[in-house]
Amino acid sequence: MGYGMVIDQQLCVGCAACTIACKIENNTPVGFNWCDKITRTSGKFPAVRYEYISTMCNHCDNAPCVAACPTQAMYKDRQTGLTLHDTNKCIGCKACIVSCPYGVISFNWERPHQHWAQRDRLAEGCFSPREMLEESGGEGSPHGNPERGTTYPVVRPAGSVEKCTFCDHRLVKGLAPACVDACPSGARQFGDIDDPNSEVSKLVARHGGKGLREELGTRPRVIYIRDYKPQRRFEPARPAGENQGA
Amino acid sequence: MNFNVSRKDFLTPTWFLIAAGLVAGGAMGLYEMFLGHVFATNSALVWTLPLVTYIFLALMSTGVSLILAYGLIMKDEAITRHTRALLIMAIGMLLGGFTALATELGSLLNMVWILLSPNPSSPIWWMGTLYSIELVLLAVKLVLDLKGRHGVFDLPLAWGTLLIAAAAAITIGAVFGTVIGRPDYQGAFLSVITLVSALVSGAAAIVLLRPQSTLTDTAGRIFRQTALLFAGLLLVRVAYEAHSTVVGMLGWASIWMLVPFILALVLLQYAPRIFAFIGILGVLWVQYSFIITGQLVSLGQTAHWYGAVQSYQPNIPEALILVLGIAVAAALIKLGGQFLMDERPPAT
Ligand code: SF4
Ligand code: SF4
Repeated sequence: MGYGMVIDQQLCVGCAACTIACKIENNTPVGFNWCDKITRTSGKFPAVRYEYISTMCNHCDNAPCVAACPTQAMYKDRQTGLTLHDTNKCIGCKACIVSCPYGVISFNWERPHQHWAQRDRLAEGCFSPREMLEESGGEGSPHGNPERGTTYPVVRPAGSVEKCTFCDHRLVKGLAPACVDACPSGARQFGDIDDPNSEVSKLVARHGGKGLREELGTRPRVIYIRDYKPQRRFEPARPAGENQGA
Repeated sequence: MNFNVSRKDFLTPTWFLIAAGLVAGGAMGLYEMFLGHVFATNSALVWTLPLVTYIFLALMSTGVSLILAYGLIMKDEAITRHTRALLIMAIGMLLGGFTALATELGSLLNMVWILLSPNPSSPIWWMGTLYSIELVLLAVKLVLDLKGRHGVFDLPLAWGTLLIAAAAAITIGAVFGTVIGRPDYQGAFLSVITLVSALVSGAAAIVLLRPQSTLTDTAGRIFRQTALLFAGLLLVRVAYEAHSTVVGMLGWASIWMLVPFILALVLLQYAPRIFAFIGILGVLWVQYSFIITGQLVSLGQTAHWYGAVQSYQPNIPEALILVLGIAVAAALIKLGGQFLMDERPPAT
């Protein structure tokens, strides 16, 4: 058993709903995106090509961040295949950031969300950030999602790194990661990629697909299938009759 | 031990300089650790001048340890006569480096997990462990020397420090080899560079800090030999970078880096302290360059935020951490000289 994600580049419209859903679900600080993007523009007018690649932690099987972490704060969960992080053990050495070839780990240089502690009101009669926080009852920010706190702190401490967990707090409840549920085009599929009979494995078997920078030997668990081609706009990822989308 | 130290011994220009460095650098370090983020870092460029300071001082301490261990093993009296002074130097420099590192680490209190949850696949774990063992060995040697206990333990301790110090310097090369390896292949080259740079800076520091002693000649000889080797290694690197066909490679070596070492080689005998100092600056330049350059290449999604290649200039708070590390090392070496040496240096 090991979770993995398949992203169908033919279906992804680059709307960034995954990025926004992740921010809301995981209460990430300003400037941090656990789920982000790489964009590439190539070619010459009129034959210009624009690529949008949704990115996040690849939960690599052979994870350089785990090998580099001196305290095992970054670790592989044997049951699920996830690369997870324990803020209690993190000494903030940033070896994981330097070692991850995908640039998906962020470091809390200072206490996150501290602007929500400000008491100054922008104008008379409106809420101060602090009052909004108290009114909403959120932890750290009004968007603090208490369910996030069941497996990872809602507000990660200053001096610690943070990154995507594939929404492990949702997985234990049988839900898909927030980015998968938010995707309007069903480009993201999630499941047990170690099981050859799972939906995600079948998609990979049908379309080939590969992870980012596989040549490095990291064995990523996020697999991209079907480069976007306008001529196959209406071609389904799976044969008729099979369930489409998330 | 010397307890005959008066207040006058601290009212000297050197101590005023050290105190100024401790106050300015200490205030900045505490601010960064507890109040707010002032270093010029981001999520893609995480190791900057404060970490360079740690590497610089730790490697210089390693060089001093290696030279002392060599002297003890080879029974070279020019070196062994200064055992205590060299131990104080090595400990002072290492603690100065640890101080700079402390301002840079996110969660100092979690350091206990290095012991409780060790990860032997991590070069940083080895670096931390080896330098901790090195510090303990140096402290044990200093205590034994202060108590006048010399005998069967001397040689094993000297071998122990030699091996641990060399391994620590090589490990630092492994840590930064992975970073500089982003745009280019490095192999074990950087480990050789860090080990040799430790010897160059350690020998130069001895020439600078123990002038007019019998040690100057021996340390000067080691400095010239290792500086020649270092210049040769840099030349190999410069030639490699000039002929490299790796797309997007950022070179960290420059032909100008050879100048301080060639100057020191030729002119050391005329003004040992000046050219030892120039040699130390040259080592700092090389270390700064290989630590920063690899990180300038943004990876994956960070390129979207910071550009494919970043630029970096140290800011004033970071420069003050360099001052802090050097001031801590200088204060400890001065205190050691005043309190622990039988023949005290003149007050400066
Ligand atoms: S993508 Fe980066 S952070 Fe995620 S498992 Fe791989 S190396 Fe670690
Ligand atoms: S910053 Fe934390 S998680 Fe990353 S390598 Fe260091 S201790 Fe491990």
